[in-house]
Amino acid sequence: MTPNLPPVTITGIGSVSPYGPLAGLIPQRALEPTAITAWTSVGPRRAFLVRPFRPASVVPGLKTRRLDRLSTWALVASSLALQNAGIDLSQVDKSRVAVVFATAFGCIELTEAFYLSAAANGWNGTDPSTFPETLASAPAGHVALFHGLRGPNITVSDKHFAGENALIQAASLIRHGQADITIVLAGDAMVQSLYSWYEVADLLSPACYNSDPLPDVCDSNAGFIPSEGVAALVMESPGRKASRENVRPGARSYARVGAGRWASGGQPAEVIRQMLGGSVPRLTIFSGNGAPCATSPTTAIAREISGDDAVIVSPQLFAQGLAGTGALFHLILALSSQVISGQALLLGTAADSGFAALPLELL
Amino acid sequence: MIGRRFFVTLSRSPLLTDTHKTIVVTGVGVVSPYGIGLGCLQTGMLAGKSCLTPTKDLYPGFEGTVAQVHDSALQSEDFSTRYSRTDQLAVVATRDAMTSSDCDRSSFRESGVLMANTVGGLTEIDTGIAKDPAAWFRRPGRLLRGSSFPISHVADAVGEHFGIRGPRCAISVACASGAMSIALAANLLLDGAAPIILAGGSDPLCPFTLSGFNSLRALDPTPCRPFDQNRSGLNLGEGSAVLVLETLAGASARNAKVLAVLRGWAMTNDAFHTTAPHKEGSGLADCIKLSMEMAELTLDDIGYVNAHGTGTPLNDVAEANAYEIAFRGRKHPIPVSSTKSYFGHCLGAAGALEAAITIMGVRAGALLPTLRLTDPIDSSGVEWLRGEVKRQPLPLAMSASSGFGGSNTVLIFGSGLS
Repeated sequence: MTPNLPPVTITGIGSVSPYGPLAGLIPQRALEPTAITAWTSVGPRRAFLVRPFRPASVVPGLKTRRLDRLSTWALVASSLALQNAGIDLSQVDKSRVAVVFATAFGCIELTEAFYLSAAANGWNGTDPSTFPETLASAPAGHVALFHGLRGPNITVSDKHFAGENALIQAASLIRHGQADITIVLAGDAMVQSLYSWYEVADLLSPACYNSDPLPDVCDSNAGFIPSEGVAALVMESPGRKASRENVRPGARSYARVGAGRWASGGQPAEVIRQMLGGSVPRLTIFSGNGAPCATSPTTAIAREISGDDAVIVSPQLFAQGLAGTGALFHLILALSSQVISGQALLLGTAADSGFAALPLELL
Repeated sequence: MIGRRFFVTLSRSPLLTDTHKTIVVTGVGVVSPYGIGLGCLQTGMLAGKSCLTPTKDLYPGFEGTVAQVHDSALQSEDFSTRYSRTDQLAVVATRDAMTSSDCDRSSFRESGVLMANTVGGLTEIDTGIAKDPAAWFRRPGRLLRGSSFPISHVADAVGEHFGIRGPRCAISVACASGAMSIALAANLLLDGAAPIILAGGSDPLCPFTLSGFNSLRALDPTPCRPFDQNRSGLNLGEGSAVLVLETLAGASARNAKVLAVLRGWAMTNDAFHTTAPHKEGSGLADCIKLSMEMAELTLDDIGYVNAHGTGTPLNDVAEANAYEIAFRGRKHPIPVSSTKSYFGHCLGAAGALEAAITIMGVRAGALLPTLRLTDPIDSSGVEWLRGEVKRQPLPLAMSASSGFGGSNTVLIFGSGLS
């Protein structure tokens, strides 16, 4: 772990994804992209989409009318993560619970709807109930409101490393005594305008246009398959976790997270070595979006840090399709896919030499 | 006497005895309806000049009062065609912040960039996208300009424009965004994430936000009157402010001039309503108390609060209640004003601009009044500043921000280290 900065513990996992709404790890099964039927009229298009479900059937009492799907998923995922962590919020000082939400595109579904209403009625005829729900911070606000959480409420965005950024900021809040528990969320929703943007920019994988079997490994030059969903992690301070174990011995810990680093350029290996303070993790879990593949710079950096025998958990196509917000899913899927433990590195890189790295101790 | 008390206050704080844990401001950059620079802002505001003007041309059918940044302020830079107006404002303010600090350009190479905004590049997207997005993006120039729409693009534009390669991201927490970017930058500096962080916010006027606030009936068609009994809403403005933040240890190592000390910061949430603040202002009151605890200050140490003060009926009452609660027990009422009465509510940039104004007040020893405040809200614990600028030493001042979704952020600035 990073010297002088005590790690915080991940104690709960929740998610809403094409795997469905889930508390805890994600059971492994092959995931195929879904054919888009709602808005495409130009031929077959595919993406990893969340199947519609009734939020109140997963979280009793949850009302989501008028909310963007992203807000709805954040509410469900946060509830499932708290449930998985075994945290009874009625027993917690809610002013000490923070929310950190990462998104690349925010509430783009209702932003699109707001544009539609402006196109139909003019800018003077837009819907007042839609406007506040277009804000990127709306999902984090709803999570605070639903659970009554009065701690810091933060929304961050980064095209490559929003998820990693949220983990770093969340751990920082706990380390600086600004929260005891932080719910970290990361995700995005797919809509027509976003898919069209990807398509016109020629960023999509050929697999988006046909129903051929998916490749086993990603090809950094062949585009990606867009995804949607929200992952949630509960992070707790070491002291709080220890005191809670006295009350609830069965509470699980997934990993401890040290102080990470991210940057938009520079010398990743040098910065990461400095961050690790002499420890050499043998395991690297790839995060990032789109590009990191077996032959990518991520592998080279992992080998530079951990040696040629470093064990690498490859990224999964679904998590790569979440532009910038896939880190939490990369971590959850890695924990779900195999028995791994010990010192590890969550590592993502970008084509412009940007990187994000978090030291982990998998439990 | 005030100076002596300030020195005593400084010396008892462990935050200030450890130079690695003291966050200082070594540069301030601003682009506002007054023009480029803190000096320009100071001259205009101390003269009591309002930039709010009636406008009809922002979209068909709109009539209202706004404050606009003059286009000439954006002609000083050679912008990429990929930059939205949000990006452009941020780049101009960042240049000004870098110039105002005594760092050479290479000092910023490993810096972080935390840039708040709410609207991103939606300034560049018209309603034509609604019917057929693919066709809209295929039209000449649209893909490039439209690609600036993610809110993170502002931080990327600043980073790329100045060749900065440290950590960068956008913060978007509605109207508390600009202040929160400064608070989060301070946390990251304490973690050693970067040697310097350029933190601030940028938001432009655009049909999307004007239409949204208009639909909520939150806009005052005439110049706003924050904290007045007869207030009837807010005016929107535009601009950007960026602070150069670093640890005192880092600033001392290169003999940098310290403009102000960020003594305390805190973030809370009301968890009350999606758009309305808590009626009693309890979330903001908690935030004020936490920031003062961090700074190890007593109730009487704060000399002025630059309020969120939007001019909406709900916000201003909730905020007055928050000051009553948080400062109860003070010897004298807390002096409060809203500088949104000068150039409107700049949304994601507001908290950063108001941080810059608070620093300006601390350095100049000037407590700015709220303009057009004739019949203030009843509040025995608050001294509503109005009329003339109050000139007095101001060693410590606070800036408060709140936003949709219930987020609050409070920043406390001190005048310096000696």
